[in-house]
Amino acid sequence: MRRSRRLSVVDLVLIALRVVVIVGVVIGSWATLSAGRLNGEQWRDLLVFGVAQGSIYALIALGYTLVYGVLLMINFAHGDVFMFGGMTSFFVADALSRAGFLNGNPLIGMAIVLLTAMVSSAVLAILLERIAYRPLRRAPRLVPLITAIGASLFISNSVRGLYGEQVKAFPALDILKGKFDILGIPVLKTHAVVISAAVIIMLALYWFVERTRTGRAMRAISEDKDTAALMGIDVDRTIAITFAVGGMLAGAAGVLYALVFNQVHFFMGFLPGIKAFTAAVLGGIGNIIGAMLGGLSLGVLESVAPALFLSGLGVPSPNQLRDVVAFSVLVLVLIFRPYGILGRPEGK
Amino acid sequence: MSEMRSLLARAARLGGISGALVLYLVAVGLVLAFAQRNTVTGVVTLGRLMVIAPPLALAFVAAGGRGTFAARLAAGLVTGIISGLITAAAVLFVSSVEVRFILVRISPPLIDFMEFSQGAVPGAAINLAVAIGAGLVGAAVRLIPPRPRRPLVNATLGVVVVSLLEPFLRPRLTDFKLASVARFMFDHKGLTIVAAILVFILFAAFTVGWPILKNNTQRRIAAADPATQATIRGVAILVFILFLLALPQIAGSFLSQVLVFVGLYTLLALGLNIVVGYAGLLDLGYVAFYAVGSYLTALLTSPISSLGLGIPFWIALPIVVLGAALTGVFIGAPVLRLRGDYLAIVTLGFGEIARLLFLSDALKPWFGGVQGILGVPPLFGVTKVSVPILGWELHGPTLTYYPLLGLCVIAAFFAYRIKYSRAGRAWNAMREDEDVAQATGVNTTNYKLLAFALGASVGCLGGAVFVTHLASVFPGTFSITVSITVLSIIILGGMGSIPGVVVGSLALIGLPELLREFAEFRLLVYGGVLVIMMLVRPEGLLPDQARRRELHEAEEETESEDATDAGLERA
Repeated sequence: MRRSRRLSVVDLVLIALRVVVIVGVVIGSWATLSAGRLNGEQWRDLLVFGVAQGSIYALIALGYTLVYGVLLMINFAHGDVFMFGGMTSFFVADALSRAGFLNGNPLIGMAIVLLTAMVSSAVLAILLERIAYRPLRRAPRLVPLITAIGASLFISNSVRGLYGEQVKAFPALDILKGKFDILGIPVLKTHAVVISAAVIIMLALYWFVERTRTGRAMRAISEDKDTAALMGIDVDRTIAITFAVGGMLAGAAGVLYALVFNQVHFFMGFLPGIKAFTAAVLGGIGNIIGAMLGGLSLGVLESVAPALFLSGLGVPSPNQLRDVVAFSVLVLVLIFRPYGILGRPEGK
Repeated sequence: MSEMRSLLARAARLGGISGALVLYLVAVGLVLAFAQRNTVTGVVTLGRLMVIAPPLALAFVAAGGRGTFAARLAAGLVTGIISGLITAAAVLFVSSVEVRFILVRISPPLIDFMEFSQGAVPGAAINLAVAIGAGLVGAAVRLIPPRPRRPLVNATLGVVVVSLLEPFLRPRLTDFKLASVARFMFDHKGLTIVAAILVFILFAAFTVGWPILKNNTQRRIAAADPATQATIRGVAILVFILFLLALPQIAGSFLSQVLVFVGLYTLLALGLNIVVGYAGLLDLGYVAFYAVGSYLTALLTSPISSLGLGIPFWIALPIVVLGAALTGVFIGAPVLRLRGDYLAIVTLGFGEIARLLFLSDALKPWFGGVQGILGVPPLFGVTKVSVPILGWELHGPTLTYYPLLGLCVIAAFFAYRIKYSRAGRAWNAMREDEDVAQATGVNTTNYKLLAFALGASVGCLGGAVFVTHLASVFPGTFSITVSITVLSIIILGGMGSIPGVVVGSLALIGLPELLREFAEFRLLVYGGVLVIMMLVRPEGLLPDQARRRELHEAEEETESEDATDAGLERA
C-alpha cells in the first residue's frame, strides 16, 4: 500500500506534465489559427522547409539506428561524423567552385563533393569504431556512452584546431537558385534537391539492408550477435561496415545541410546530432523506416511548432525557442514513448 | 626468428601511430601554442617535447615485447625511424606545398619551428635524427631494470612540472623577497640549466628516499602507544587545516583565483558524484542545477533583480538549496524509469532547455535574458575583510576561497558519510543490479530521487557562492561544456571516489588555468581524457573499490572462462 502511494507521486508528475503539454499545444494552436497570424503560403513554406530539414535529420538518424541495431549503444559522436563530412566537402566544393567547375558541371561537381563527404565520414566512423568502441564491447553500458561523449568532444575540437573555428561559407550553386513549380506549389530548388537526394539515398539504404548479403548479416547481428557469429558471420567486419554505412549517410547529410544553410562550422554537429537522435527514438530506435519517419516528423514539428503553438500562447520571439521545442520533443518522447511511434513497449 | 619479426612488425606499426600522433599534435596547433614555453631555457621547449614524446613513449611500448636485448633495442629504433620518416616527409611536403587554406595552423612560424630554422631538407633530416634518438632512448629506458628506472622517469617528469609552474612560482618568489632565487631558477619562461639539473637530482633523490622514509615513519608510529598515535594524527590534521587556511596567502591573488575555480568545480563534482558515482545515473544536464543555484541566489539577494528583495546571502542560501533540491526532484521524477543511456540524453535535454529558457526573451522580465542579473552583493556584505592578528587583507578571490573551502569540506564530509549509510548501500545495490535491488526491498524510485535531490543541492551551492564572487549572473555561463567538464573530473578521479574528485579538479581545472596557452585546447583534452580513461582505466586515477570491481567484472569473467577453456583443452 505504502509502495503504491509513493509511486503515484511520480505518476502524478508525469500526468501533470502530459496535461500541461497537451493543453499548451491545443490552446496555442487554436489561438494562432483563429487569429490568422500567418497565411496559407507561409504555412506551406514552413512545411516545405520542415520536410527538407527533416529529411536531413532522417539521414543522420539512420546512422544512430543502424549502430544501435548492431551494438545496442548510442553513438553520441555521430553528429560529429556528420559535421566532418560537411567540413571536408566544403574544401572540395570551395576548390571546385573557385576553378569554375562546380557551376560549369553542377551534376559531376556535386557528385564529387558528395562522394568526398561520404568517404571521409565513413573513414572517420570506421576509425571511431576501431579505436574507441571495439575494445569496450563487453564493458558496462555507460562506459561506451561516456567514451562516445568524449569522442564527440574530441572530434569537434580537433576539427576546430585543424581547420579553424570561423564559420565557412559553403559555395552556392547558380543552378540551385530560384524555385521549382511542383504541382502548382513553388518550392525552393535547394529544398527540392535536398529532399529528392535524401529519398534516393534512403531507398538505396533500404535495398542494401534488405536485399544484400551484408545487409542480411547486419540484421542477423542485430537479432543475436553470438548466434550470428556461430552461423559464420564475421561480426567485427559487419559492425565496421555498419559504422561505415552510417558514416556515409551522415556525410551525405553534411553536404545537404551545407546546401540548405550555406555554411559549415566545427560545432554544427551537436544540435543536428541530438535532434537526429530524437528522430531515431521517435521512430523506434533500431527501426530503419521509423528513423525516416521520425526525422521527417521532427523536422516539420520544429519548423512549424514555434509559429503554431508558441506565438498563439503570446510568447515573445518564439523562434528563439526553436531548440527548446526540439529538446522538449526529445524529453517528452524519451519519457512517454521511449520505444517510438512504431515500436511496442519492451517486455521486461 | 618469427618472434623477432613479429616484434619488429609491431614496432613498425607503433612507429606509424607515433608519426600520425606527431602530425596531429602539430596540425591541431598544440605544438606551436607551446613553442614559446621553455621547459629548460635554451635546451628544449614544451612544444618540442610534444614532438619528441610520441616516438619516445611508443618506442618504450615497442621495446616491451618478448625478445633479446638487441632485438628490443632494434624495435625501439624501428619505431623511431618510421615515426621520423613520417615527420620528415611531412616537413618536406609543407615547406614546398601551401596547405594553410585547409590546415589553418600550418603557418610559416610553425614550419620554421618544425624545420629547426634550418631550411626544408636539413630540417627534415634533423627531425628524422631526433625521432631516431627518441626511439632509442625510449627503448633504452624500457631495458633499464625498474628500480633505477623509476627515479629517472620521475625526475624527468618533475623537471617538466616545475617548469610548468613558472608563471606562478616566479612572481610569488619575487613577492616573498626571493627575487634572486627566482632569477637563478627561471629564465625566459623556463628553468635555467643549472636549476633543471638541481630539480632533477632532487626529484630522483626523493623517489629513492621516500619509500624508505615512509616505511620507517610508519613503523615508528605503529610501534608507539595509542595515545601518541592519536596525538600524531591530530597534529597532522591540524597542520593540514592550517595549511589550507593559509593557502591563499601563500599562493597570491592569481593562484587564489585558480583555487576558487578548483573549489567551485570540486563542489560541483562532489554533487554530480552522488548522482553518477553513487547512484550510477549518468546526468549530462548537471549544469541546470548550477544554473538554478546561481539564478535563485541572484534573484533573492540582488536588490536590482526582478524580485528586488535583497535578502542577505546566508538567509537566502537555505531557500536556494531547497529550490535546487525541488528542481532535482522535478527533473528526476519523469526520468526515473528510463534506461541508463536514455536518462543521460534526457538530462542533457533538460540542461539545454534550462539554458535556453534563461537566455530567452520570453522570460526576460524574470531572468534578464542575455544581460542576466547584476548587482549581486558580496557574500559577507563587504568586499574586504582584514584579519586582525595576522595582518591579512582578504578581498576578491582570497576572500571567496574561505566559504568555498568550507562548503567543499562540508559537502565532502556529507558525501563520505552518506556513502556508507543506508542510502549509500541502497545506491550500491541499485547500481550493480537494479532488478535484484528492487527484489530485495530497495525502493529504487525514492533512492533515485534522493540522489537527484542531493546532487542538485550540492551543485547549487557552487552556483550560489560563485554568483556572489562575480556579483552577476549570465546565461552564457551555463553551457553543456560545464556538465561535460564536471563529468570529466569525476571520470578522471574515479567514479564514486571523493579524493578522486579533488585530484580531478586540480588536474582538469587547476592545471589549464596555469597554462594559459592551453585555453583553447581544453575541451579537446577533456574529450581525450574521457576516451582514454574509459579505454585504459575506467575506474579512474584514485578508484573507489566497489566501482573498480564492477568495471572489471566482465574481464574477470572472460578470463575465468578462458582459463576453463584452456583447462578443458589440456584435459
